[in-house]
Amino acid sequence: MHASIGDRIIIHGHRSGEPDRDGEILEVQGDDGGPPYLVRWGESGHEAIFFPGSDATVQHFGSEASGGGSRC
Amino acid sequence: MRTIEELRRSGVSVEPAQTIQSCAAIMEQAGVGALAVVREGRLVGIVTDRDLVRRGLAQGLPPYATVNGVMTSPVVTVDADADLDAAFGLFRSHAVRRLAVLRDGYFIGMISVDDLIVDIASDLRDLSWPIRSEVLMPQHDGPAPS
Repeated sequence: MHASIGDRIIIHGHRSGEPDRDGEILEVQGDDGGPPYLVRWGESGHEAIFFPGSDATVQHFGSEASGGGSRC
Repeated sequence: MRTIEELRRSGVSVEPAQTIQSCAAIMEQAGVGALAVVREGRLVGIVTDRDLVRRGLAQGLPPYATVNGVMTSPVVTVDADADLDAAFGLFRSHAVRRLAVLRDGYFIGMISVDDLIVDIASDLRDLSWPIRSEVLMPQHDGPAPS
């Protein structure tokens, strides 16, 4: 997985009907855009370090219209 | 049957000084039921939503209480490159529903009992398919070779 500051991280729901969760990447702590990432979750501004697994996707900044993204 | 790395879910970590209110909000917004507690890059504890309720809310701790007061330590961990049987053994010997996954000694995610059960169920469904077909569909053998 590769990401940049400003990209959005999407955690896909694990159960039927469970909504996806998303956060904004504030800092890339791995090499060459790799994880982990400092992520701001939701509108409350809480921040935590995120380690993407198979349930996560990165939505690259400015790619919402084109539907671009990469999956871990 | 998949590997630990394939079954590994995303992990979220906080520092020991994070408040329990902040931890609860992060769990809700990230959609996770547990957080790793990491100090200077090293895993020092794990806190679940159950921990926040039983050790935090039920004990009357204020929202600004720090997570290191309610976390579980030490943490039951499994190496990301270990065989899936290692995870089975840890779940069998410890009363936990989640394992912290480490690579080179660093936290990288979680694996839960639920993940293993779903994976096993999928394998069983694949194995049972030819048997189900045989049971449910009438069998008509062709003539024996002359």
